[in-house]
Amino acid sequence: MHELGVANEILDVALSEAERHAAKKVTSIRLLVGVLRSIEPGNLSFLFEHLARGTPAEGALLEIVEEPVRVECEACGVSETPSFTLECPRCKGADVSIKGGDSLSILSMDVDS
Amino acid sequence: MRAPLPYKVRSLGHARRRKNGGHDRCGILTRMGTGGNVRIDVGRSIQQSADEAAAAIRALLAGRKIYAINLISSPGSGKTTLIEALLARFDGKGGVAVVEGDIETEIDADRIRKHGVEVRQINTRSSCHIQPSRLLSVLREMDLSETRLLLVENVGNLVCPAEVPLGEDARVVLLSVTEGDEKPLKYPLVFRTSDLLVITKTDLLPYVTFDVDRVRRAARAANPAVEIFEVSATTGAGMSALLDRIEALRTAKNG
Repeated sequence: MHELGVANEILDVALSEAERHAAKKVTSIRLLVGVLRSIEPGNLSFLFEHLARGTPAEGALLEIVEEPVRVECEACGVSETPSFTLECPRCKGADVSIKGGDSLSILSMDVDS
Repeated sequence: MRAPLPYKVRSLGHARRRKNGGHDRCGILTRMGTGGNVRIDVGRSIQQSADEAAAAIRALLAGRKIYAINLISSPGSGKTTLIEALLARFDGKGGVAVVEGDIETEIDADRIRKHGVEVRQINTRSSCHIQPSRLLSVLREMDLSETRLLLVENVGNLVCPAEVPLGEDARVVLLSVTEGDEKPLKYPLVFRTSDLLVITKTDLLPYVTFDVDRVRRAARAANPAVEIFEVSATTGAGMSALLDRIEALRTAKNG
């Protein structure tokens, strides 16, 4: 249930941004979520929907942009995978460095003014 | 029947690296320009308030020259036992304070209190990790005048504590050999973000299937800089090397 804290934080940010821009309603919120964050979109959405009831963000659509893991392979350069790995997805080599996939941020939101 | 939940998921892939509106080219964010609908660029970490609390903890610790360690593992991997070993090592010369995190009970704090050190228990109830704001308020209540080393035992869990920095100087993840050697693959974030990996209960290796080299390989792929220790608190094997290293890290930072 760690999505509860995340959902709460999203709502706080969305409501304060909406107020700052004098918006009446938040219609959608776009999130960048790394695949290593263990965020289950259905869980997050369910909790957000519940928390947002009675606020200007009620019914807002969560658009979750998944950030993949970046694999830097000595032999064939950079590639991306949807989950943690220990090998290059192209050449299957083990001489890799694993980066990214851990973002958790709000990119933008759409509001009715 | 309930209406479907309002969310969409798509993979970022290479789109993000395109210049000028890479997301819009994916075709789901083009409902703009009608009515009073306005796009606000937010660009803000969801963990901003947690990050601010962690920064306040760092400032508090820096002002007092305290070295802080965040201990993370599954339940029962040996966090409290490692803390007791550190207390035995540092007591009297380092000044150790301990914060224990658990969903419920004061059991761990009571266990540590017997060693005569400054200790507080945080009961997180519904939360699966220690929140930095909670740790900050606890630290403000503690007597840290003699403290040189702060040990924070996070809630037993390899998932959420990994995502929430507590302003620590070093993060230590423990993995006991009874848990299985696939854990760095299953929970990569905690292994990537930890400075030290301590493989515990090595005296049980003859009785379990646990490939230490597999763990080392996976942990190094997740974090090439990770320092790996193999210990048994029962036999004492490897413990002094680990305690020496922690002492060296502390003195390197704060003298």
